[in-house]
Amino acid sequence: MEALKIANSLPMWLACGIAVVLVIAQALIFIKKAMDAAPEVGVTKEQVNKAIKSSALTSIGPSIVVLSGMLSLLVSVGGPMAWMRLSFIGSVMFESIAAGIGTGAVGVQLGVDELTPLALTMAVWTMILGSVGWIIFSTFAADKMEKIQAKVAGSNPAGLTIISSAAIIGAFAAMCSQKLVALNKASVATILGGLIMFVMMQITKSEKLAKLREWNLTIAILLGMIITAVL
Amino acid sequence: MKENFYSLEYLPKMHRIGKIIGVVAVLASFMPALTLGVVYGLWPDMAALGTAAVSAIASFGVLWFVEPLSYYPVVGPVGTYMAFVSGNISNMRIPCASMAQISAEVEPGSDKGSIIATIGMGVSIVINTLVLTIGVIAGSSILSMLPASVVGALNYLLPALFGALLVQFGMKSKSHTVLMLVIGILLNIAINGGVFSWLPGANNYLSTLVCVFSSIAIMMVVSKKKAAKAA
Repeated sequence: MEALKIANSLPMWLACGIAVVLVIAQALIFIKKAMDAAPEVGVTKEQVNKAIKSSALTSIGPSIVVLSGMLSLLVSVGGPMAWMRLSFIGSVMFESIAAGIGTGAVGVQLGVDELTPLALTMAVWTMILGSVGWIIFSTFAADKMEKIQAKVAGSNPAGLTIISSAAIIGAFAAMCSQKLVALNKASVATILGGLIMFVMMQITKSEKLAKLREWNLTIAILLGMIITAVL
Repeated sequence: MKENFYSLEYLPKMHRIGKIIGVVAVLASFMPALTLGVVYGLWPDMAALGTAAVSAIASFGVLWFVEPLSYYPVVGPVGTYMAFVSGNISNMRIPCASMAQISAEVEPGSDKGSIIATIGMGVSIVINTLVLTIGVIAGSSILSMLPASVVGALNYLLPALFGALLVQFGMKSKSHTVLMLVIGILLNIAINGGVFSWLPGANNYLSTLVCVFSSIAIMMVVSKKKAAKAA
């Protein structure tokens, strides 16, 4: 119990809180700067509001999925670390594997054996060392990748749009096919989400139903999810 | 509206802020580990930490480079700074950025699209962090407030979202999307069949990497051919 007492102590809450505050601060600063820039590139207030609303609605579901992952991590490494790691750099899969590797190196099986203070320390260090590379590389490569992309896009003004549209299709094709080849209920949900979306897009083609269009995705996602769950 | 505001004023400013926050984030991520050491005298066993770090990096190190490269064309330079500090990229940042662009009716890859994606991503970070913060304060009791059927159904939310978004983005270039889906499915069957087991951790990144870049390459070649025909 000693280790979990330390893991859930006030100094740990404060130390982890710094990172969480930083993540929120970054998001707020970037939102503010983007909103300031919006009128300069011709984005209207209405478009900004729509973007905020739909992003907020979209994030609730996945956030709850992450929350359930955090609660399982919380049991093994304590509240502060679980809270920080999943707000910051984290993904549930990475964190639990990295924590397990750390405790394993001193002979403690995460979630099976009792956590010792040394094992906790190992888990914390391994989670950090295993993940700083993401921030370091992305932070220092972002402007270089921008230059490479501009070169690839070339003089064609539509080049960047083509690259982005192609990349988005590629990314979602990859995510869908991962779900599809699993041949389980997630595959069913993927197909249903796509099918319902297709139907909604056809139905709302007529101007009469144009108002419905902004609900297309929400309807497709919710129906796809609910039908899969009750099947 | 100002000419070239986006590339001459907005982007350089965002690069500067993004880099500063990235460096601070790396330092902040070590705070819990240092707290364990300074406050509780708990330092890791260096030999064991070496072993643990090596095996964590062997499992995830490739992702440090491959993920930023694969997701860059989707989230852009500003999105890259945010996405890799906050994590949860494929399950939340990209869907939220895309949903924001769809509801604001802006093109991905355009200046407007990038501004809207930044706002969408920022909002999703704020919501995600709020949900986790409420969750960690309330503890496990929060999930028990939701009926088990709801928590179970949420597992199908992301697959349905992926399917719906693929259709949404793919409708403009149907044959390309079908081709990418076929490539993705074949690739994932090969990955699951162990064809790439000689590549460490390939199942974590290979399908996104290959799909994103082959999609870009195919679409650029096709659009060049079309332009040549039109000329």
